[in-house]
Amino acid sequence: MSISVLDALRPAKKPALLGLVVVVGLFVGAWVHGKYFSDRSPIQPIEFSHRIHATDNEIPCQHCHIYADRTPVAGVPSVSKCMGCHNSVPSVRESPEILKLATYWENREPIPWIKVYDVPDYVHFTHKRHIKAGLACQECHGPVETMDRITRVASMRMPWCVDCHTERNVEHGRDCWTCHK
Amino acid sequence: MAAIAGPAINKMSKISRRDLLQFIGAGGVGVAGGILYGEGVQRNVEFLIPQVVPPEDYSPGVATWYNTVCNQCSAGCGISVRIREGKAKKIEGNPVHPVSQGRLCARGQAGLNVLYNPDRIRTPLQNAAQRGSGNYAEISWDEALTTLGSRIGRLKIEGKAGRVRLLTGRTRGHLDELFAQFMGLLGSEHYQQYDFTYPAAIRAANRISFGVDQLPYYDIKHADFLLSFGADYLGTWLSPVHHSLAYGHLRQGRQGRRGKTVQIEPRMSLSGAAADEWIAARPGTEGLLALGIAHALVNAGNYLGSDRDEWSIALEAYSPSTVSAETDVSEESIVRLATEFSAPGTSLAIAGGATAAGTNAVASVVAVNALNYLAGNLGQRGGVIFNSDPAFSATAGSRQAGLRGMLDLVEAMEAGDVEVLLVHDTNPVYALPENVRFRRAMENVPLIVALSSFHDETTAMADFILPTNTYLESWGDDVPDPGVGFPVASISQPVVAKLYDTLAVGDIILLLARRIGGELPIRLHWATMEEFIKERWREEYELRSAAGEDQDFEAFWRASLEAGVWGQPGAATGDESVPSSSSMIASITDPVSKFAGSESDYPFVLHPYLTATFTDGRGANLPWLQELPDPMTSVVYGSWAELNPVTADELGIREGDILEVESPAGSIRVPALIFPAIRPGVIAIPIGQGHSAYGRYASDRGVNPIHIVATQVDDQSGDLAWAATRVRIKRTGERLRIIKTDGVTRTLGRQILGPKNDHA
Repeated sequence: MSISVLDALRPAKKPALLGLVVVVGLFVGAWVHGKYFSDRSPIQPIEFSHRIHATDNEIPCQHCHIYADRTPVAGVPSVSKCMGCHNSVPSVRESPEILKLATYWENREPIPWIKVYDVPDYVHFTHKRHIKAGLACQECHGPVETMDRITRVASMRMPWCVDCHTERNVEHGRDCWTCHK
Repeated sequence: MAAIAGPAINKMSKISRRDLLQFIGAGGVGVAGGILYGEGVQRNVEFLIPQVVPPEDYSPGVATWYNTVCNQCSAGCGISVRIREGKAKKIEGNPVHPVSQGRLCARGQAGLNVLYNPDRIRTPLQNAAQRGSGNYAEISWDEALTTLGSRIGRLKIEGKAGRVRLLTGRTRGHLDELFAQFMGLLGSEHYQQYDFTYPAAIRAANRISFGVDQLPYYDIKHADFLLSFGADYLGTWLSPVHHSLAYGHLRQGRQGRRGKTVQIEPRMSLSGAAADEWIAARPGTEGLLALGIAHALVNAGNYLGSDRDEWSIALEAYSPSTVSAETDVSEESIVRLATEFSAPGTSLAIAGGATAAGTNAVASVVAVNALNYLAGNLGQRGGVIFNSDPAFSATAGSRQAGLRGMLDLVEAMEAGDVEVLLVHDTNPVYALPENVRFRRAMENVPLIVALSSFHDETTAMADFILPTNTYLESWGDDVPDPGVGFPVASISQPVVAKLYDTLAVGDIILLLARRIGGELPIRLHWATMEEFIKERWREEYELRSAAGEDQDFEAFWRASLEAGVWGQPGAATGDESVPSSSSMIASITDPVSKFAGSESDYPFVLHPYLTATFTDGRGANLPWLQELPDPMTSVVYGSWAELNPVTADELGIREGDILEVESPAGSIRVPALIFPAIRPGVIAIPIGQGHSAYGRYASDRGVNPIHIVATQVDDQSGDLAWAATRVRIKRTGERLRIIKTDGVTRTLGRQILGPKNDHA
């Protein structure tokens, strides 16, 4: 058996080796994409930092995501909610990102945040039940309070859901109709 | 190994420049491919759009159900609309509404297609080029209303208000009253309605037979034997959702009792398919068959009233043997039906469809009414129950123009007697025979204003189009017709904020009244339709509160609004006394339909039929209904002409052959469909397709059989006899593949029905 590159470079083998390089390249490309370009951590219209809000200023999650404990969706805060606080935070009023916020508010336009966590429409997920069951937000969303830009830490795919339901022995947790109605 | 590897390493340094570039290139392609792949499997970017300022009672993801009234046909079902984040998501039946009782038909469900239809008119439009060119310029409401107000106002001042005409669809409730008041104050008596599906013959016949000007409650639910003369009560007749529920009860709602249904019609409808027995009598002789059954019933001694002899004499000419020859129904069947109809238990006879659309329509329904009288069904549970007078809007029915009224209107337009024509919610250019030449007559009208949510064949002739809110965005109210045996009224409320720069039709009338000036704005002083409806309901409430309602009005209003309906179950129904029979006996006439076209020139009978999806064509612009297969033939999209296999064999016609169907009034080209459940010699074509200007989903699809119907009036009701036209057919030689979900209707030896037999 030969491991010689020379042999590999013989005309008959060269296409195979080129193919191998392409395949390796594919994996490298996909990894690079996942790491740096994917929707796991998209660039948002305003460079909002959860670290500053949740860690530095110790704002609890549900102060802004007010619907989490009572509706299916956690809810992204209204523009008026953002401005409600920022009107009384003069120290950052002139920072470029807060100026962006102020512009949205003046134009009465919503901020087009890009969704990071999403489940397909045929999944009837509800935040309310998970909060009522005593789960901390971090158990699904990771250490959001340490992130400057939000990054998805879980796949949100069915095996991930079912694993957790099984582990915690959730009642009807593996019944199809619990999530697919 | 080392001996071999050594030189190999040496040689490796001698990779040629060409090879190196090739490898770098391959690596680059690979990485790029990987990134593209990653991009490809990535989910589409979705956005999280926050509210700018959230409403107070807003909870994302939590649905609220609002009750209102369906406007997709004239039954007046109550509906509940599911609203999330301010958007309508789903429509279901309102469980507490006595008409729909929580159920809803396909058309009602498709109401969302009305609201979200991409073809909706979004701003007021003014004709910018030649009429009918479809070339419109957007204008403001202010501009439109000012122009119209001044033109109509000038006519009023000149004393020519009578030259203003208002033509609407079937309008009930207080919107009808508003229209009437508006026209009355203007000084014009020309407020008319035109609805192709209006049961004019049934109302006229009930006036003649029973002396009541209303649609009674046909209590199918409690009947043991239902004899239907052409009435497709499960699909299109009067109140299909309510009748379907009643049918379910008739069949399976009573322990140990299964009601029987018999359907008499030339082409099997959904109700015919659901019946125990389907009888295809000769078209146009159904009323005669009813008299034959009546004759057999009286002769067998099953009618014991004191006026037995009078009936006997009146029915003398209609012995089963005579009737059998005319109707092509065997004598035994007639006698048997008479026995079953008068057997113990409750029986009910109803008439509709083609039976109530011949030149003999009223006479036929009178004959069916006589059957109900003879079997003692009037005022009985499981029979014909007369409604009390409706709470309001009792006069709406009398505004129906019918064909006669429309011919008068055409004549007036042609004579130049119409200066302004206001059209709302009706499409006479589509739903009248072409021979009526409604469109051509419209050309003589100097100003045509359409109040409509959609462009259609009639609005195409308008100079101004004022876009209206859909029923899901409007205030209104309704009294279902036919009623349900006790007083009922429903409130229609906007369940979503309006999507475009449109206005509710009632609000347009109120605004227009203000622009016209004079006493109109003083008498029509309400700011909005909502205010008007509420005031009328308050008056209604005060009338009744004397009779013991104990809440205050605001509480009553809120409760009615929340429930979507107000009713008094158990309140006295209408007159329960059985009407005298003398006028009924006198009104028995020979009910045979006269067909346009001689049998020798036009050998086939044209049977246009209403479908449960499009009715008179108004549903054709809703994509959900377009993709719904016909329940009998499974055909989807387009039009087709059904003919019996025997007829098809004689003429050598195969499925998909494009036929030219020619009547004395015109011709259409339509593909043939071989359909076993139709009487030989009858050509059935569904109504509803064949639009030329009704939005992207309806236009240029199929044909409109109403256009080739001969212009014949049923004398007694004044309505169009749309089932009294003969046709001839010709193969054009062209073919078209009919799209249907069924494969073949035969088993082809596949033994689907069990052990091998000869049915294949």
